[in-house]
This record gives sequence, C-alpha cells and structure tokens, in this order.
Amino acid sequence: MAKNQRALRSAIALAGVSAFALTACTGPSGGGGTSTGGAGGGTITYGTTDKVVTLDPAGSYDAGSFMVMNQIYPFLMNSKPGSAEASPDIAESASFTSPTEYTVKLKPGLKFANGHALTSSDVKFSIDRVVKIADPNGPASLLANLKSVAAKDDSTVVFTLKAANDQVFPSVLGTNTGPIVDEEVFPANKIMSDDEIVKGKPFGGQYTIESYKKNELVSLKANPDYNGLLGKPANDGANIKYYADSNNLKLDVQQGNIDVAGRSLTATDAADLEKDSKVKVHKGPGGELRYIVFNFDTMPFGAKTANADAKKALAVRQAMADIVDRDAIATQVYKGTYLPAFSVVPDGLPGAAQPLKEMYGDGNGKPDLDKAKKAFADAGITGTVNIKLQYNPDHYGKSSGDEYAMIKEQLEKSGLFKVDLQSTEWVTYSKARTADAYPVYQLGWFPDYSDADNYLTPFFIPGNFLKNHYENPAVTDIIKKQLVTADKTEREKSVGDAQTAVAKDLSTLPLLQGAQLMVAGADVKGVEQTLDPSFKTRLGVISK
Amino acid sequence: MTTLIEAPPSDADGLLPTKKKKSGGGLGQYILIRFLLIFPTIFILVTMVFFLMRITGDPITAAMGGRLPPEQLQQRIHDAGYDRPLPVQYFEYLAQLVTGNFGTTLSDNRQVTEMLATYGSATLELTINALIVALLVGIPFGMIAAHRRDHLPDAVLRVFAILCYATPVFFAGLLLKLTFAVWLGWLPVAGRAKTSSELALTGLQAPTGIYWLDALRSGNMAALGDVMAHAVLPAVALGLLTAGIFLRLVRTNLIGTLGRDYIEAGRSRGVSEFRLVTKHAYKPALIPIITVMGLQIAVMLGGAVLTEKTFEWKGLGFQLANYLTARDFVAVQGIVVLLAVIVAITNFIVDIVAALIDPRVRY
Repeated sequence: MAKNQRALRSAIALAGVSAFALTACTGPSGGGGTSTGGAGGGTITYGTTDKVVTLDPAGSYDAGSFMVMNQIYPFLMNSKPGSAEASPDIAESASFTSPTEYTVKLKPGLKFANGHALTSSDVKFSIDRVVKIADPNGPASLLANLKSVAAKDDSTVVFTLKAANDQVFPSVLGTNTGPIVDEEVFPANKIMSDDEIVKGKPFGGQYTIESYKKNELVSLKANPDYNGLLGKPANDGANIKYYADSNNLKLDVQQGNIDVAGRSLTATDAADLEKDSKVKVHKGPGGELRYIVFNFDTMPFGAKTANADAKKALAVRQAMADIVDRDAIATQVYKGTYLPAFSVVPDGLPGAAQPLKEMYGDGNGKPDLDKAKKAFADAGITGTVNIKLQYNPDHYGKSSGDEYAMIKEQLEKSGLFKVDLQSTEWVTYSKARTADAYPVYQLGWFPDYSDADNYLTPFFIPGNFLKNHYENPAVTDIIKKQLVTADKTEREKSVGDAQTAVAKDLSTLPLLQGAQLMVAGADVKGVEQTLDPSFKTRLGVISK
Repeated sequence: MTTLIEAPPSDADGLLPTKKKKSGGGLGQYILIRFLLIFPTIFILVTMVFFLMRITGDPITAAMGGRLPPEQLQQRIHDAGYDRPLPVQYFEYLAQLVTGNFGTTLSDNRQVTEMLATYGSATLELTINALIVALLVGIPFGMIAAHRRDHLPDAVLRVFAILCYATPVFFAGLLLKLTFAVWLGWLPVAGRAKTSSELALTGLQAPTGIYWLDALRSGNMAALGDVMAHAVLPAVALGLLTAGIFLRLVRTNLIGTLGRDYIEAGRSRGVSEFRLVTKHAYKPALIPIITVMGLQIAVMLGGAVLTEKTFEWKGLGFQLANYLTARDFVAVQGIVVLLAVIVAITNFIVDIVAALIDPRVRY
C-alpha cells in the first residue's frame, strides 16, 4: 500500500512539475533592459499605436498609413526636417509657370528599388489613379483643384489647376496624394494589396521594405538609390512595431525593447516616463487642434432661438473665451501633452499668430472674470445663461470627459453660466451636430497638409464642414486671398489677418493644440528633429 | 459547475459483468443529424452578427464623420451601399458567403480570407498552449485533490479551481503581467516574440504562422526560447480558465470511480492498488476530459479575445476587438463566421466522440 501511494505521489509530483515546465524551460525574457531594438548595425525600432490602412496611396488618408508611405515612396514635394515648407524632393525644380500651370522637373536618373526607371509617366500615373480610384478611404478630395496632369517629356510634369495660383498645391503634393508609384507594378484602377506592393518593390523613398507583417512589424532598409530632399538616413534601417495598447508601448520603451515610442502615449504615460532616467521624453508642437464649435442658429441668443440677438450671442462667445482656462486643462487633464491654443491656426505653422491671447482673458492667456462680466453687461445680458454643451467620449480620447467637466466647472464658477453637459457616441454625434442638434459642442482636427489654409478654408468659408451657419464675407475674402497670394510675406500677413478676423467673430473657440510626443532611449539621437511643424514622422533622422 | 460525464470503465481485468452488445444502428443517423445542425447554428450566428453590427451605425460615418461635409459623407455612404434597405444588404451578404467570398475589410483593405489565415494560426497557437497549461494544471491538481479528499490540499485546490474559473481572464492576465513582466521582469510584457525573432521567423519560406513550430522547423533555438517566453503568460492566463474545470472534473470523477463496485471487486480479487488507480480508476476518470475539452474550445476562443488584447497577441481575438472598435462589419462578420465554424465543428466531433464512448447519448 505504501509503495502504491509513493507511486501515485510520484506520478502526481511529476505531473505537477510538468504543469510549470513551460515556464521553466523558457527562462527570463531578456526584457530587463537589453535593447532588441534593431538587428544591430544601426537599426532603430520605432513603436506606435497607429495602424496602416493600406500601403496603396490611392486608398488611405490616415496618419498610420502615411507614416510608412513617407519613408518608402518618393514625393515631388516634401519638407526638410525642422520645417513645414514645401520644397522639391525628387524634383529638381517646381514652380507656377502660369497661373493655372504648376510645372515640376524631375531629377535625372531616378529609379525604383525594383530597378524600374522613375519618370514623369509614373508621376502622371500616380496622380491620375488617386483621382480615378477615388476610394472612400483615399485622399482624392485633396486634389479637388486639379484639372489634369501631363507628362511633357520624361522628366517634366505639368499640373493644370482649376483655380489659379493655388499656393496650397505644392503642400498637397507632399500629402497622401503625393507618393509616386511604379506604373509597372500598380494597377491603374484599383487598390493593390499590401503584400503585392511589398513583392513588387516599387519603393523610391529613403527606405525599402524588407519584410512586412501588416500592423505587426515592418522592417525597412536604407535605399541607396534615393536621391531626394531627405538625404541618406542616419541609420542603416528601421523597424516599425505596432501596438494596440499604449501601456504595452510604454513598457517596451522603458525596458529597451524598442528605441522610440511615437504616437500615441497617454498623458499619464508621458508624465510617468518623464521620471524615468532610462528614457527621454521629447515634445514639439503638433497639428491637432481641439476646439468648441458654436452653432450660430441654436446657441444661446442664436438666430433661430426665441430670444435671437446677435450681439448677445457674440457676448456669450466672448465671455466663454474670457473665462476658459486653457492652461489648467492642458496641465491638469493632459499633463502637458496638449498646449493652450490661442488661434485657429496652430503655433509653429508659417503665419500662425495668437490673437485670442490678447483679445480675451487677461491678455496673457489666463482667464479674466471681470472682462467676461463686462461683455455680458455691454450686451445687456442679465442673470446666468444656460448652455447645452456636448462632447464626444469615444472619438476624441478618453480624457474628453475630464476636459469638458473642467470647462463646465470653469464656466459655472464664474456665475455667468449654467452648463448642461452631455455626451453622445460618435456615429450619432457626427450626424446630430450637422443637424443643428447641438448648440455648443466639441470637435477636433488633424491637418490634411501642413499649411495654415487647412485650418481656415474647411471651417470659415460658406459651405464649410462645420455647418454652423457662420458666414462673414470679409473673412471669406481674406481666406481666399491668402490661398492665391504667391508672395510668402504677404501671404503670411493674410493668414494672420484671417486669424484675427475669425477670433473677433469666435465662430469656434480654440482650446488646445496637440503636442507631438516621442519617448526614446537615452542613447537615441535625432528625435527632436522630427518633431517639427510638418507633423511628419521621419525615421531617417533617428539613430543610436 | 461541473458536469459529470462518465465513460464506461475499462474491463482489462474482467471486472465488469458480461452484457449483450447494443445495436449501433442509430449512430449513422445521429452523426447525420449532428452534422446538419452545424448549418443552422452558423446561419443563426451570422444573421445575429449582421444585424447587431448595424445597430451602431455605418462605418463610413464612424471613420469620416468628423472630417467631411454632410453631403460628401452621404455620398460615400451611398457609394458603399450602406443606405440601402437592410434586407437587401443581408441577402447580398449571404449570397456572397455561399460563394466563399468573405469580402475585403473596410478599415484596412485586406482580403478577409487572408486575414483569417494570418491570424487564425496565432489564435490556434495560443489555444494549444492554453490547453496544455489547462491539462498540466487541471489533471495533476485534480488527482491530488481526489487523493487527499476532505483534507487541506483538497480544500485549497477546490478554492483554487473556483478562483480559476471565476476570475475574469483579462484580470488574471493583468495580474500575471504586472507580477511576472513588470515587477519581476522575468517574462516579456506583450507580443508573440521580440523584434529580432519575429524578423527571423517572418523571413522563413512558407511559415506556418505558429511561431514555435516555425522556430523548430528552422532550427532557430534562440527564437524558440524567445517565442516560448512570450507564450507563457498568455497561455497561463487563458489556460487557468479551463484548468479549474478540469481540476474539478478529474477530482469528482476520480472520487466517483474509486468508489465503484468494480474497483472494490478488483481489490477483493487482489489487483494492486496502483493498478486499480492508474488503470481502472484514473483512465476512466480522464475520458470525460476529452469531451469537456471540446466544449471548452468555445470558452477558450471567447477568452482569447481578452487574452490576446491584454498581451498584444495578434490573433483573431485581438483583431476582432480592433475591428469591432472600427465598426468594420466585413471583418467582424468574417471572424465570427470562422469562430462559429470552429466551435460548431468541434462540438460535432465531441458529439461523435461522446456517442462512440457512451452509446446512451445517441438516443
């Protein structure tokens, strides 16, 4: 009996030990700080929570896809690290040769990684297919001003535009519309799958793709044949590792499993990582803008309300601009990952100003209750004003709730407002806001291209996408003027004038500007060079 | 909550009374009926998913609602066909499915079949790993509990089993991650492999997508170790969910079997205690595990969604969660159909096995 019990015990013990065999045989992970960032030899690994929709330029219009495209495809126009100004990339020259003709001359001897020659025919093909395919997720709408493209000779491309002197067009060529693809690889009328693209090697940018697992891991190698504005990368290659959860992204950069963590760490992550000596938090101005929209018909004293009064409605907007404390929101809610915004054009872009800083509050960006009270008194508003304020909890990040709770608190603390704060899920929200359901509501914006115009035209001219019933012919004229003014200084002045005019009307109330944020290992160099006003992630400047 | 499904005991020592064999004529019919039941099961699930996904609105608005003027937005919705009557969309979808066309995902433009093949292998790997953990934990602990019935080890293991089953898998995953990856630093935080290993394995000719198998095939032991290290925490998190059930099942069955008359008869005939336990009590007690294992596949696939999300294990569950967030109807439908097929086929096999083991279930 004792023998049998021993045998049973042995069997049980053996099985019990086996239960942990998986753990035992694996040993430590090596996650304790050894860098696995690259395969060695100057390869860097960049982690992100962004996603790739498609590597086909005709089928995507999102930050995640563009980030990869910006590394692998050649562009006619791009911008140097540190700048947002459109400059020739693989083009030798680019300029308006007539008010409606933009002529680009290609550099000689350009070729794709598969050996095919890159000529003006490829350029025409690339642009034409974006327009022809007009994919619902694609960037075709950015080419609304394009009439036609012609390949004059092997190295000359002529873009004919519908509206003359479109100063934004060079910038548009540096967006999702602009990657030049190989006409011998891509089909003309449909989106190509990522795997087929990778096999075809139609790459002519700073890097080529060596291996590709969609939204898991992309391995890039420096392209020796690239002859463009960005030059030779500072590294031999780069890996892009994709994360779903920013916590995992944070832990991996802390443990040295990746070299740089880019988009999108949370405010709390960033604040936490700033205390960690093994990593460095890099910040720069970003292109995201968060703001409040006023519906001119339905806001308090709006045109279609029972007590419509344009003067009082303006006073309400002014008083809100006087009271809101952007700095408190930026630091308390977003831990410095957003910066206070005092204009509809984010700081850092050519022509950006800060008119709201002087015009509202204490003149230095802080709130001023007396000024708000005066605005009410001057307009004849007595008692508190009830505001229905809407925000969205799922589209603009988890912290929107905290952001708008703070705005409510700030407004109500003044004694001038009583705020009914409500939130709605995104699909309903985005439909309801254009159906005049929300008198005052939250929106946010990421730029399509790094130009002040992208923060003006879509918002403040008649038929804009806000549909908030705001129209001011004078403002429309200024915005249209800046769009066609060729002289750089004069154009920037017009951009400034447009911001001032819009700030007076307060069709929207800018609150916060997103800060670009990257966290890198202490030995990683060059990160700050990519945090420029172009808002493009350039892996080529990063090294270790 | 354990279901006692006992198999007939082995009769190698001639312990059982002789009885006439029952006719197996119902088996063919039984298999046919079970097979045919697969189709309505999948059909109902596909229908439910189709309509439920549309309650939350169309994906074009979800993606572009904040950026496009209403007219353009409406045009895109129209172009994509999301403004047509639901029954029309539904029947078109069914017709598409019948031809084996799962479509292209809306949010990242992938062939659904290619996506299913890519991520299915990752989920298969996780499920296998978790099943191994469940068996390695559940069976020995169940044996210990049965052997030490009503003593302290039994009480502790019964509580452990309840905790395993009752603890939400994501919570267990987070605890494991916090303890073994973040605090102790023994195991990786997330993912299926380090960057270098993934690059090495991705470069293989026709990889299976099951990393440990790919590492073995290429003889890359460093990658194998790395892959195994990454597998531990997700496998344990998911495996413990089922281990609790296995533990209780083995304990209950072993106790029940050890008290059966034929065991007593064996003792009286002088069959050794070791042989009685390992041959006559232990093996029959394990047979129900096979049946329950099949049923647990559905539980594991459900748990895989949370486990994969917690550990960035890029399998079907992980993708399902992402595609749900993106309201990608096409992708979600594709994944759910595949999962439904897996569960239905597994249950079909389990039914057959159960019918073969115990003819009573055919009636």
